[in-house]
Formats: sequence, C-alpha cells, structure tokens
Amino acid sequence: MKMRVLWLSAIACNGNAHSFLNYPYIEQFLNDFEFIYHPIIDSAYSLEDIVSNQIPCDILLIEGAISKQFQRADISVVNIIKNYSKIVQKIVTVGTCATFGGIFRESDYENTSGLHFNQEQLLEDFQEIFEKTISLSGCPVHPEILVNTLYSIKKSANLKLDNFLRPKEFYAYTVHNGCTRNEYFEYKIDNHKFGELEGCMYYDHGCQAPYTHASCNKILWNEVNSKTRAGLTCMGCTEPTFPKQNLFETKKYGHS
Amino acid sequence: MIKLIEKIEGEAKLNFNFKDEKIEFVDIEFMSTRNIENILKGKPAFDALVINPRVCGICGHAHLIATVKALESCYENLQISNKAKSLRELTLNFELIQNHFKWFYLTMMPLFGHKQEVLKATYPSQLMGKAIALFGGQYPHTSYAVVGGVVCDITEMDIIKLQHYIDKTVQFVEENLLKMDSKSFSTCKSVESVLKYEGDLPDILRQINAEELLEHGKSYDRFISFGESSYFKKGKSIKTRVNNNISIDNVKESEMATSFAKNVSYKDKYYEVGPLARAMVNKNQLILDAHKKYGDSIFSRIIARVCEISQLLLHSTKLIKELDLNEPSYIEPSINIKQLNASGYSAVEAARGTLIHKVEIENGIIKNYEIITPTQWNLSGGTREKMGVSQKAMIGLCDVKTAELVFKTFDVCSVCTTH
Ligand code: SF4
Ligand code: SF4
Repeated sequence: MKMRVLWLSAIACNGNAHSFLNYPYIEQFLNDFEFIYHPIIDSAYSLEDIVSNQIPCDILLIEGAISKQFQRADISVVNIIKNYSKIVQKIVTVGTCATFGGIFRESDYENTSGLHFNQEQLLEDFQEIFEKTISLSGCPVHPEILVNTLYSIKKSANLKLDNFLRPKEFYAYTVHNGCTRNEYFEYKIDNHKFGELEGCMYYDHGCQAPYTHASCNKILWNEVNSKTRAGLTCMGCTEPTFPKQNLFETKKYGHS
Repeated sequence: MIKLIEKIEGEAKLNFNFKDEKIEFVDIEFMSTRNIENILKGKPAFDALVINPRVCGICGHAHLIATVKALESCYENLQISNKAKSLRELTLNFELIQNHFKWFYLTMMPLFGHKQEVLKATYPSQLMGKAIALFGGQYPHTSYAVVGGVVCDITEMDIIKLQHYIDKTVQFVEENLLKMDSKSFSTCKSVESVLKYEGDLPDILRQINAEELLEHGKSYDRFISFGESSYFKKGKSIKTRVNNNISIDNVKESEMATSFAKNVSYKDKYYEVGPLARAMVNKNQLILDAHKKYGDSIFSRIIARVCEISQLLLHSTKLIKELDLNEPSYIEPSINIKQLNASGYSAVEAARGTLIHKVEIENGIIKNYEIITPTQWNLSGGTREKMGVSQKAMIGLCDVKTAELVFKTFDVCSVCTTH
C-alpha cells in the first residue's frame, strides 16, 4: 500500500519542495508514497479539493511559516492544518520556517511562527497534535532526511526525538563533525580569507557549525558537498535562532 | 469566471471576462506576499547574501548573484578575478538549465495532455544541482558568492566532475528532448530542420501545429533583457529591431490595486522578458526564424526556452576550458562594508528573465532594498486600457484551458512575482 501524503505550503519560498526533487531515488519513493497534493508534482486532487474537503491521508507535511492570516485557496492555513491533523498518523514540519518560523517569521503576516515553536519558545496552539509531530528543520531540509523520515513512519519505526522534535539520527550531530577543515579548527588556524582550501572559518568568519545540529557533513548535499567543505560558513539554518545577524562575522568578546 | 491557477510555486487567480465567447479581459491576482524587502531593512548588508536566495526555491541562485553584484556596485575599485566571474556565470547557467527542464517536463508537457514524467525533470536538474553544489556546497540555497569573489577553491578534480555532469546532461538532452547532436542543434537556423527530428521538444511543437495553437499567446512583440554575461547581451528588441543602448533608469515599478504583484515597465511600456526575449536580443538565428513564422507566440516561447538549455550547456563547456585555476577565487575588499554609505544595483538574467536588485546602505546596514523579478515584467496585471504582457497574450482566446497554457508558457512563479 502506498502511503498518502499531503504537502502543504504555508509562508515559504518553496525551497524545500525543490530540495525534495533532488532526492536521487525519487522513482522508488514515488512507488511507495503517493502525494494527494504537492506544490509541483501532479496529484489526483486540486488545491481546492484539498482545502474544501478532508481527503483521506496518512502524513501531513507542512512547509513554510504559519500565521492565521495566511491563506491557501482562500482558506486559512491554520484551518487546513486543523482539518488534516485529526486524520493523519503523523505531521512533519519540513524546513526551519515550518519548525521555528525561520526567515519568514519576519514576513508581513501577523504572529508568524513555526507550528509548535516560535524560535525556541514552545507555543500553546496545536498542543493537541504535539505528540504526532516530527520536526525536520533546515533551510531547506535535506532531501534524504525528509525521505528517510517518511520511510521510518511507513515502517512504524520508533524515532528518538530531541527537545524540538527533531529525529536524533539526523540532528544529534553538529555540522562541524565531518568538516574537512577540522584540523584547522583544532589548531585554531583561521587564516581563511575565503576561496582557499585551508583554514577553519570559526574564529573570524562566523562559522556556526560547532553548535548547529544537522548532518550536512555526514549526508552531503546533492551527494557531493557541504557549505563548509566548499569554503562557506555554516549559517546555522537548522537552529531556532536562524537567521542570526552578522552571519559572516565571529563576535569577539573582551580584550583583543 | 475565476480560475485558481496552481502549481506555479504558489497560486494566482485569473478572473476571465468573456465577450462574444472570447476572452476580452483577464484580471490577474497574486494573493500573498512575504515582503522580503522589509525583512532586509536594518540588517547588516552581507546578511542579504543569506536571506535573498530565500526569495525563491527554484531561482534562489539568481537572487544570490544579483545580491552580490548589487552590493559590489556599492564599492569603488573592487577587484574580482576572471575565475570568480566565470564560476558565478557557470553556476547561474546551471540554475537556468535546471529550471528549464522542470518547466518543460513538469509544467508544459502535462498541459499538452502528456503524463507528468517526474524523472525526466529531476534527473537532468539533479545533475545541474550537483554542478552548483560542487562550488556552492549545496543546492538550493547557497551563499557561495561573496563580495570580492567566490568562497570555493576549485581543483582539477572538480573540473573533471563538472564536465561529467555537463556531458551527462547533454546526453540526456540528445536522448530525450531532441534526438540530434547538440552541436548541430546549436547551428540549426530553421524551425523545419528541428521538426525533422524526434524528441519531446519537436513532439510538442508538432502538437502545437496539429492542434492549431500556432497563433496563440501573442503579446506586444516587444522584448527586453538587462543581464549581461559572456553569453547574454543587454538590449531591447521591438519586433526584430534591436537596440542595445538601454538604461535601468527607465525601469519603473508600480503598485497594483488588486494584486500583490507590482508591475514593471520600461519607458512606460510593457516588455516581455525571458528566454524568448534573450534570443531576440541576441539575434539567435533559429529563434528569429520561429519568430518570423509564428511571432511572439507560445511556439516561439517554448522553442526559445528549450533551445537555451543546449546553448548554455555548450557555452558552459567553453567557459570551463578557459578557466585559469591559478587565479584567486576571492580578493578581499580594501574597505570594510561598515564604512560604506552607498547605493548600487545589479541586473542578471534568471531563468524567467531579467532580475534587478537595488540596494542602499548606510554604515554597512541596509536602508533600502528593492527587488524586481522577471515574472513581474511578464505576469503582473495592467488595466484594460494598458494590459500586461501575459494579459494581452490571453485576449481573444475561446477557453480557459488554453488561456492557462498561454499563461504558463511565461513560466509563472508566484513566490518570485510577489516576493
Ligand atoms: S569551518 Fe566550520 S565546520 Fe569546518 S572546522 Fe571550522 S568551525 Fe568546524
Ligand atoms: S551547513 Fe549549516 S547553514 Fe548550511 S545547510 Fe547545513 S546547517 Fe544549514
């Protein structure tokens, strides 16, 4: 039996939907799962069908930040979530916006946040579905993390979650683990001036990898690379604090 | 009659007015905006390099390149190596290519009654994603282009991998899109010579002919393109008359009463942007032939977009051959951004057409940021007296289904249009 999945976009850039299209074994995935709606992939139902009915469905995926004011096909996204969260087995927040509010927490909609969290703060709304939710943060989410989580739901596997409901198998690491620049970190060598293979970006350039929970240097992006391996600082995009300010700088305290 | 148009990176509402069973006016409404320009205000300038790719999930890289160039234009005497310039151009090309594949296979083919073949879109676009990730660390949403260059230090090994991704993509094109050798395709001068071959592109073009859609989707027959690169020229083309002397000062953005999409004009006139516009400005022989026969119709729009895939792949190979790996990737700016009070702008060609960014900074903090996206040129509404480009292209059609097809030939992106 294919599992039925509803992909609902709230206040988003659709980056997660496109990141998902980079999953290398998408053919296999589409044999095992069926989208009753996806923002790009064809589906049996139209958006109007989805929002005005309650189409049978097993998993609700939410992409994008959430505000009562925001609508899809003239229905408040909060109501769509309430409607489907009753019938699905699991709810997955896809990406940092849906999880913590992310970049679009600052959009023009009133009281915008993630589903259960406004940055680190736990929200009271949606408490009744808290137990059903798994958070997959990331801006965007890594396609393997999304797909593997969906398979583990299919298998009814018991995923261990952290305090933000993120599966530990993907978020118990920091991005710093597996960075090809680690020795430079150990020896505190930040001669990094961008565009060089040598040097760690922690000391001067604001690399947030040592305190960012994500698998970017374990499960490489597009199967080839990671930001820090390429020479770009980690922006901490899986964390509730994303986006911080002064992303290319390391804040220095005390005497110089 | 109101129709909700979906799977366009969000939605739009088209309100069709019919007279004598023909479409007489279409009101276009984009229903939401995130207002990235407001989010940027008060932020440190370099943070825009991280925020702006999030304008759009499918063309975020174009927003990165536009951002870095807008910020760089705030400096005097900033140095950028040729290597860094070429790498930026390459990754931007790859993003254009992946977008064209997705548009053709995920959006266009189903509108012609074909089953959506997801893999035909994702296989080649994944190769292009890998090519970007090789330099950028990931795709989508990297910030690998920074003021002064790019962050990666590429090696010969990267170049070999990169060429493989390109070759595999070329092979995909030759086995699926157009079953002919890409080099010969690039020198094709007539539509007939393309129609002789098999492949998904000629199939669709033949179907347009068979279903008598050749005359559909014509608009003002005015084209414009601001983003310059080693491949694209800047200029406007009124019918086939090209003028390369155009200035961004004549571009005007105005608010709309009924929609979140502000419209954009050049000297108070609406112009089409995108692959067809670029080909017209660049005087591409094949596309000029299509235009001569079928004008600015859906036929020309589709062939221009798909043909750009092969051309950009070939051109990228040429750029790679000319790369000098010994050049620096990054040259540190001599002034710290915190000391800058300046304004600047940039224009780049994104998949859907000209993208403009304008920035004003005070002591390195963003005071004002303006983004004009390609879809605003093509898709935002005008009035009955002065219709927008896609509005005009839908006039006179007899049914809503064909109108949706015409609308989508402009490659609609709701998130970009409203940003
Ligand atoms: S660059 Fe970042 S991820 Fe890599 S070693 Fe340094 S701190 Fe860690
Ligand atoms: S490296 Fe950091 S910023 Fe980049 S995707 Fe991973 S967690 Fe996000």
